[in-house]
Amino acid sequence: MALLEMKGIKKSFSGVPVLKGVDLTVSKGEVHALLGENGAGKSTLMNVLTGTIPCDGGSIVFDGQQAKNITVRKSEQMGIAFVHQELNLFNDLKVFENIFINREITGPLGMLNKKEMIRQSRELFERLGIKMDPCAMVSDLRTGEKQLLEISKSLLTGAKLLILDEPTTSLNNDEVEHLFAMVRDLKKKGISFIFISHKMPEIFSYCDSYTVFRNGEFIGSGKIADTTPEEVTKLMVGHAREQGSYEKRKTGDTVLELNDLCGKGFKNISFKVKKGEIVGFTGLQGCGSSELMQCLFGITKPFSGRLKVNGKEVTAHSVHNSMKAGIGLLPANRKETSVIPDMSLIENMYLAEHTLSACKFHINKKDEAGKYERYKKQLNIKAESGNSPIVSLSGGNQQKVFIARWLNTDAEILLFDNPTQGIDVGAKEEIYKLILSLANEGKTVLVNTLEIQELQKVADRCLVFYDGQIAGTLSHEEIEEHTVMMISTGSVANGNIETENEVETQ
Amino acid sequence: MNTGKTKSNMLGKVWRDYSFIFVFLIIFLVYAMTSSAFTWSATMNIFRHSAVIGIVALGMGLVCLTGEIDLSAGSTLAFVSGFSVVIFNMTGGNVLLTLIFSLIMGAVFGLINGFFVGVVKMPSFIVTLATMLIYRSFAQYFCQHISKDLIGGGSSVYKMTSSYSGYDAMYGFGNGKIATFPIVGLVLIIITVLFVYISNDTKFGKKVYAVGSSEKGAFMSGINVRLIKLMTFVIMGIMVGAAAFLWICMNGSSDPATTGNSYEMYAIAAVVLGGIAMSGGKGKMIGILFGSLSYTVIDKIIIALKMDSLINNAVKGIILILVILIQVAGPQIKERFAVMKKDK
Repeated sequence: MALLEMKGIKKSFSGVPVLKGVDLTVSKGEVHALLGENGAGKSTLMNVLTGTIPCDGGSIVFDGQQAKNITVRKSEQMGIAFVHQELNLFNDLKVFENIFINREITGPLGMLNKKEMIRQSRELFERLGIKMDPCAMVSDLRTGEKQLLEISKSLLTGAKLLILDEPTTSLNNDEVEHLFAMVRDLKKKGISFIFISHKMPEIFSYCDSYTVFRNGEFIGSGKIADTTPEEVTKLMVGHAREQGSYEKRKTGDTVLELNDLCGKGFKNISFKVKKGEIVGFTGLQGCGSSELMQCLFGITKPFSGRLKVNGKEVTAHSVHNSMKAGIGLLPANRKETSVIPDMSLIENMYLAEHTLSACKFHINKKDEAGKYERYKKQLNIKAESGNSPIVSLSGGNQQKVFIARWLNTDAEILLFDNPTQGIDVGAKEEIYKLILSLANEGKTVLVNTLEIQELQKVADRCLVFYDGQIAGTLSHEEIEEHTVMMISTGSVANGNIETENEVETQ
Repeated sequence: MNTGKTKSNMLGKVWRDYSFIFVFLIIFLVYAMTSSAFTWSATMNIFRHSAVIGIVALGMGLVCLTGEIDLSAGSTLAFVSGFSVVIFNMTGGNVLLTLIFSLIMGAVFGLINGFFVGVVKMPSFIVTLATMLIYRSFAQYFCQHISKDLIGGGSSVYKMTSSYSGYDAMYGFGNGKIATFPIVGLVLIIITVLFVYISNDTKFGKKVYAVGSSEKGAFMSGINVRLIKLMTFVIMGIMVGAAAFLWICMNGSSDPATTGNSYEMYAIAAVVLGGIAMSGGKGKMIGILFGSLSYTVIDKIIIALKMDSLINNAVKGIILILVILIQVAGPQIKERFAVMKKDK
């Protein structure tokens, strides 16, 4: 019997369709894996289900009842609970206070009945087989315990369907085991789960059925027992390999050399990059590639290992030193990390260069305008004038301004962290072309992205990260979504990628 | 229809960007109408009375542009002006040494604030609240506990010894006029021009805006956020030092209990009235000049109307709320109207 039936759900954000009429059916007492690449529409669908965003069309039937105009409150009452990736707990409150937040048990005069709340919490934990002190501070709990707390919290309200959004990313193996032991118990009691994860091994050992989305479309569903990781991965990535304008380039001397570099979020990274090369980093969210880029730019200090730029060992790690050494970083989350919202695009462009030439106090506006015009032509920036506010530009054009920012500092090594985030398709193509032409001019480009198609278009080779380490290196010809997905989900060990790939391509 | 819309947009933009000029003009007009003694020299006097607060406000503006605040300005003014008097008396009336001391002492106090806020990353509100208490307390304590000769023989006031040669020069500087224009007013204008230049045309100025607009973004563009914040506080300190020097030039003395009392608040009010966002990153330095002039004119209006001067702060507070109310509520009301139109 189906607990949840979502049919033909549609949703567009400012004209761009994100969900193009997708279906999802979850039976009672099952763990249903919702699969798809980043941006496939999984989170959007879950947000529709929990009432965070309204949908444009389609029908939702939950527990035999037609659900219309879902609000957050209503979905909670119906028995849907969303356990978020970022935990929604109050660190400065106690465990039981978190459980009873906004539904406190009160006595006369609104006094809190703490004893009763603690008793009920204890009962709840006993029922679920969790060892946790209701009076402990949440800030003292480990991440795994917080996850369990979050789940128990939703069970107190009598949830029938729990949505777990990548619950295991921050858990160690024991905690994962514990979490799923609990899930299995609850399953027997008839509670259903929607499980969003990228980790194939987990999906195949704990889930019952699956649904796959790609680009906001329903691709397929079925029983986990009837399928294999390879098949599911194939469904997730689809097959539409386009030919870009990629061609081999001549590369020069080694400009960047990492030797066993360890730091926050990554460990034992060693590789060399030659001048004019385009190297892709990829992996799933939290795999450490973004952290590595930040370290290369001097934002964080490595714990150990060696880093050589242009043959010179880097000892003093700071953003300023990295910039002087000729490194530029186009950070992820453009809106928070690149945009200076109150300034014009010309100001946004010249800001970084000015930290290198701070001794010349005066800004020569004519010179800056000249430089801007040059970059505008080179990068094809579409803007009314250099004095328009940066926020008036589209994402793609903003990103070009920030590329200009680093070209302006004469950076030879450009680190692009997720450069096409929140950019429409046309502008994405332009960014790829830019990356290729920059490399042709002798710049070295490192691109970190979750989108494999991007790497197929530009990268000479690709380093796949898994759990903070390089799990595999692929040459341009070998970059293929299926292979990358297999390595980055830990489905295959580094050694047998080649053979797997051969089997696949035959 | 279309042109009418762009016209109103233009007007809206001018109002948004230069509201401080309108505010000043309105207040000035009220003054012109109410004052029976509305003369050229009375008008010029506005500049004289705005000098100290205006210079403090300019420094405050720079600090506010980075998204921070300096509550210690008034206390710094009291301490620096008091000890500048002491230096004046000690050196037998050496004007140059007194000036240098004022600026350096101000810079040191600014550096202390800036160190805790910029480098240690403590909240500026708390750091400068603490130094506000400390600096004023020092000013009052030392006034009682140093040799009476050094404070000009007074009991609880730092007094410049008027018999020294430098006294006339300083007093003349503080109260003199060049072609009917007060010299201290001229100093205010020169410093304003300097600040407008720094904020518009220098790399340092742009970095200050960038830090206030997006600290993370500024950091990622390689800006040393800590250094920029430290420097804004040091410049703030130097400005307060300069204001302290003007204060003793104008008054010949400094009372540690009252000098600069609430000046940090007036300065912040002038900064806000001048259109600078307290969250940082937005606003023009020139606005601060008009902001502080507006407040001086309010004083004059109340005197002209022969009202009790105790009502001063109430009027200033109400005007501040009104102006910001228009700025904040205006767009919201406009938006609501737009929605209503759309619905129809």
